[in-house]
Amino acid sequence: MAEIIARGVRFHVQRLASRHRTSQPEHPVVFIHGLLMDNLSSFYYTLANPVAHAGATVILYDMRGHGLSERLSTGYRVNDSVADLAALLDVLGVDGPVHLVGNSYGGTVALGFAVACPERVASMMLIEAHVPIPGWTEQMAATITNIGSDLTGGELGRWMAQHRKHARSATLVRDMIAHTSLMADIVATEPLAEEALRALTCPVRAVYGEHSDVLHHADVLDGLLSRYTLTVLPDVDHWILPKATQALRAITLEWFTAQASVNA
Amino acid sequence: MTTDQILAEIRAMLIEIIGSEYALGLDIGMDTSFDSDLQLESIEFVRLATMLADQYGNRVDFLEFLASKELDEIIEMTVGELVTYIANCSALADAIDG
Repeated sequence: MAEIIARGVRFHVQRLASRHRTSQPEHPVVFIHGLLMDNLSSFYYTLANPVAHAGATVILYDMRGHGLSERLSTGYRVNDSVADLAALLDVLGVDGPVHLVGNSYGGTVALGFAVACPERVASMMLIEAHVPIPGWTEQMAATITNIGSDLTGGELGRWMAQHRKHARSATLVRDMIAHTSLMADIVATEPLAEEALRALTCPVRAVYGEHSDVLHHADVLDGLLSRYTLTVLPDVDHWILPKATQALRAITLEWFTAQASVNA
Repeated sequence: MTTDQILAEIRAMLIEIIGSEYALGLDIGMDTSFDSDLQLESIEFVRLATMLADQYGNRVDFLEFLASKELDEIIEMTVGELVTYIANCSALADAIDG
């Protein structure tokens, strides 16, 4: 396991070398997973290796509190996640632009990073990205509360407790909700300023599910981003990474190939 | 390297990952399933990949092995499939090394 210390936090990082050097672009591809139940493994088995095969150096990491990274009691504001990513890239010696792939909350982090450090982002692929717009913190708080309730006293929690492979992650998520500043930090998130999003010039490819509960975020981005391409996948909800993996893989490779040809 | 040797090494890695307490009641063999028997979490599978890279270096390309499989196929794999893959990689590397 590759462990990297950044901002005083021990992060689990996986780097995949490019498998196809002839078309290797200069910018690494960084994958950012979603909140709570997610970790880098969701990309590791789905999109990361195909992108490495297409010519990219790939970086995956578990965000603080997730997967095999260190769990601290504080530091779960979007700005913290953005600062964590910047510090990780510094430690890895990646000082040039990167391509970002963010899933769900990972998309929130990607957008925040692009606003904070536009010179470090070559392009973004946003999968079911949550955008911190007015009303988002309330939606997130309700979602986190429901997950906590389900895992604590609900049927889902009882089922997960009976299966080793789910019991550990259920315990970690419950602990994260009950004993860290996660909820307070998410609730305290300031909406991303519209003018900051309008100022972004990098190309953004977005993919949402037809039945997603955050599909309206796609329209918000459409109204603000100048170089924005949206694909809505039919018959799928928020969970397009596990449920529509093959379609998403094809879109990801198409996006990456287009970016690589721009960089060549 | 024999299949038995590889199985013993994989077994030791898996016990380290899932913990000796849970492994106590398991007889990890070629037919053991990563999912239904070991109940391996997906992030633990990533940890196993790292341990394989540390143990076997360039002789075994675990990610390449996984690349041909969809997620449900990976989850349903047995320890024996992995052991056989490593044995084949080792035999190939030995043949190339002469």
